[in-house]
Amino acid sequence: MKRLLPIFLSIVVLAAVHSLRAETDAEVEARKTALDLAGAFANDGFKTRDGHWCGTVKPHDHALVAVNLYAGNQYWFSVGASEPSTKITVSVYDETGKQVPTETHNAGEKAAAGFSPANSGQYFVSIDLIEGREGSFCLIYSYK
Amino acid sequence: MIRLTRLSAIGLIGVICTAVGAETGQLPADQLEKAVRSDSISIPTPAELFAALEKPGKTNWSSQYRGPMPMTYRNRAQIALNLGGLIADGFIAVEAKDRQQVKNIGSDIIRLAKALGVSESLLSRGNSINDFAEHNEWDTLNEELEATQNEVKSSMQSHSDQDLVILVSVGGWIRGTQVVSGAIMKNYDERSAKVLRQPALVRLMQSKVNEISPELRGEPLVKDVSQELNGIEKLVSFPPGKAPNIEEVRKLNEAVGKVMEKIESKTIAR
Repeated sequence: MKRLLPIFLSIVVLAAVHSLRAETDAEVEARKTALDLAGAFANDGFKTRDGHWCGTVKPHDHALVAVNLYAGNQYWFSVGASEPSTKITVSVYDETGKQVPTETHNAGEKAAAGFSPANSGQYFVSIDLIEGREGSFCLIYSYK
Repeated sequence: MIRLTRLSAIGLIGVICTAVGAETGQLPADQLEKAVRSDSISIPTPAELFAALEKPGKTNWSSQYRGPMPMTYRNRAQIALNLGGLIADGFIAVEAKDRQQVKNIGSDIIRLAKALGVSESLLSRGNSINDFAEHNEWDTLNEELEATQNEVKSSMQSHSDQDLVILVSVGGWIRGTQVVSGAIMKNYDERSAKVLRQPALVRLMQSKVNEISPELRGEPLVKDVSQELNGIEKLVSFPPGKAPNIEEVRKLNEAVGKVMEKIESKTIAR
């Protein structure tokens, strides 16, 4: 039994290391998915910001990210998720927490919401996991 | 009958899509409070501000240039604040499509960044800025400037200078706001003036400055900038839908101009 213990511990450590690596890989994958989606808006003259935010979202829950936008610009918020998250949606709320009407694009593990703010100020982008299990997502945005 | 059933089904799907699109939810204040607020996505770049200003009409960007600034600062906080301001100047030169100005500012950015000891890979960014300016690739230059800013920030993080990151953003926002308020004063338009409403952004920068180390926060320049941000927050807090009048724009321009003078001054920071 004593001989088996180090082997067992090695397996646990390897599994832990693997899961940490997998999490990083998942964020990279989610970012790639988000960038692919944002690329479609670039064809329409939208500039993609170099900054991004990666996080995790649980089933039937949402992650909320604050952004500061300018009236006059048009924005698209693109989100990519990685397995085991399979279906996400994106929605936008104003500074009082009221949902803002947006154009939406939903395609399983990628989703986007676009709008032109009437007022400059703070808005909140909500990433909701509709189907699948807890996983990583990455949010980027484009403007013109 | 089958055709009618199909049509009804298609109609129903249409109704569901419309209903989802029209749905208006409300998030409670405690959830908004817990939202992620990060330098990398919650603080807009000067390019976004300048893009919004351009919408109602042409802006005379070159009238917003400023004279050469000293490159011999020793105080790291002051270098970081000025670096942010210089990057904003780079975006102005790109908006003005001024090849030589972009090259000059690109060189200054690299010189200041080197003074902070940030990574050598930035040198290649300087070359790229020159190349893109030479070939009039203005959209690519905007991306390159933003990438340069992010590279400076991540290099600061890896050199345990993460406290300086927010100062780069603050410097960029102050210089951007000085330029935009100056341009609006010259050619007042309500739609343009609406871009100046950013109370939450100023609060976010203040809170990030309050999180930096007590030593850095205690430096005279950082203390001054932090105090001035309190007053500036009031000057950018208009009710939604209301544009500031020209007098309010002038007050904001004076306030950010005063902070820029302190940031540029060779005498204030030790």
